[in-house]
Amino acid sequence: MMDGQRTPFQAYRYLLPALVLEVGFVFAPLALSLYYSVHRVRYYQLGDFNGLQNYIDILSHRLFLNSFLVTCSFSLMALTLTFATGFGLALFLNRDTAGSILLRTVVLLPYVIAMLVGSMLLKWIFSTDAGLVPLAAAWFDVASPTVLADPEYAMAAMVANGIWRDSAFAMVMLLAGLRSIPPNLIQAARIDGAGSYMIFRRIILPLLRPAILITLIRLLLHFANVLTFPLILTGGGPNNATDTLALRIFRIGFEDFDLGKANAMAIVLCLFNIAAVVLLLAVFRKTRGGQSL
Amino acid sequence: MIFESHSGLLRRLLRGLLSVIIVVAALFPIFWGLMTSLKPTRDIVQFPPSLLPATVTFEHYVTIFKAGAFGFLLNSLLVSAGTVVICLGIGALAAYGLARFEFPGKRAVMVAIIAVMSIPVASLLIPTYTLIAEIGLVNTHIGLILVYSAYQLPIVIWILAAYYQSLPIELEWSAMMDGYSRLQALWKVVLPLSRPGLIAAGLFVVVFAWNDFVVAVTLLSSEETRTLPIGIYNFLGFYGREWGPLLAASMVSTIPLLVVFVILQRYFMAGMTNGSVKG
Repeated sequence: MMDGQRTPFQAYRYLLPALVLEVGFVFAPLALSLYYSVHRVRYYQLGDFNGLQNYIDILSHRLFLNSFLVTCSFSLMALTLTFATGFGLALFLNRDTAGSILLRTVVLLPYVIAMLVGSMLLKWIFSTDAGLVPLAAAWFDVASPTVLADPEYAMAAMVANGIWRDSAFAMVMLLAGLRSIPPNLIQAARIDGAGSYMIFRRIILPLLRPAILITLIRLLLHFANVLTFPLILTGGGPNNATDTLALRIFRIGFEDFDLGKANAMAIVLCLFNIAAVVLLLAVFRKTRGGQSL
Repeated sequence: MIFESHSGLLRRLLRGLLSVIIVVAALFPIFWGLMTSLKPTRDIVQFPPSLLPATVTFEHYVTIFKAGAFGFLLNSLLVSAGTVVICLGIGALAAYGLARFEFPGKRAVMVAIIAVMSIPVASLLIPTYTLIAEIGLVNTHIGLILVYSAYQLPIVIWILAAYYQSLPIELEWSAMMDGYSRLQALWKVVLPLSRPGLIAAGLFVVVFAWNDFVVAVTLLSSEETRTLPIGIYNFLGFYGREWGPLLAASMVSTIPLLVVFVILQRYFMAGMTNGSVKG
């Protein structure tokens, strides 16, 4: 602290390697991406300046609107259900008994293993070959669906993949928030005669707002950019029903080899992320005036 | 009183039931994948499916190791180790700069750290590929390690800076009065005391580097450089619906990680919330 006054820029000697790495491999790529997005690129060869043609092409492509809608509906469903599951888990496991500690670790396992592996394991469960879906259908006496070949079931499977993997993330973030609430506040309310529901709504929820907001933002960004789930679990199908924006970019870049359009789309996705976060913040602010939060 | 103990019992029963449901939901896919990987090929698709293998076989594991899984495993180890070394080395310095100095631009640096932590990797893939291709590091481990380090450094810095701040600054002062330079004080006093923070940060980096699929599939193209997840992805194209080798490869990726994680999980949870990691 004291050295700060003497040589104000001394700290940068410590920060320099990190800054170089971040500028080199996070910010420079974004800048280069902007440059590529306004050029014609075929098979990785940078061509002429192209203006906004790449943007016009991708936005007017017949699959763009589909990917946009798929991404929105997947994000919304996965966000809501994952958050709800994670919140439930956090409330259920917010105690330090041996059982709760063990359960928290168990819930984290799907989050810790590779996304690719998790999606592969679920692909195997949902596949007709495994025999689990026909077995379950026989139990409930309904016709056995081919889950990954039906547009609606495939989307549901992808949402299930999200809940299975990412509820743990929401749980840990919200648990940390719950831990930061002073216990004597809740005791005092209880002495004053407040019931569990009242305590939850008037004390826990308001104090949890920052943790809730961070959890929602990180989950939303994660889901809106999801690539591994559709790439492994559904392949984007059937009939493009799970073709997310990130998957579309991946395909334009590495199957059509068009880095100009792919970079333009990556920029669009970044803008989409910013818009999504801004929208979420606006919704969150609105609820402040209301009774619910 | 009777009513109360009744409802207490009911509560306990409900808790138990819910716990069982949670365990099954979380673990069944992993368990079922492991069991399937141990079944002979003809038993894998039998209907109705059996939960446990009637005969245990390691044939699928032999298949994938013959198909080069050992090389992929080594590549994954190399890349993960390289990324941890770079991240902890550079991160320990940068976190010290943030934790112990006031300087112009500090706020901007903090905001940038949070921004990079929030940028989803998928939206950076094409730009990163473009840059890495431009500087000729495509299909090299060093390129992959540098990109992984850039993605994981922010969280490492965040965890370590919070940890340093929880240490009494007087220790460094007295070390410096004994003639240590700042860097020596960092190396000989601060870092040894920061072990829990270093473990948490390192665990994060390992989990990311070991598991990453999307960055590696973008940057690596040849058989020799492939990491384990890319190996599995290519098996998916190669074996198609032959689930035995696919799930065996998945287990080879999962089991070492789960062992490390279960041993060190409390550090991981503390790191996830970016709070200080108390030893």
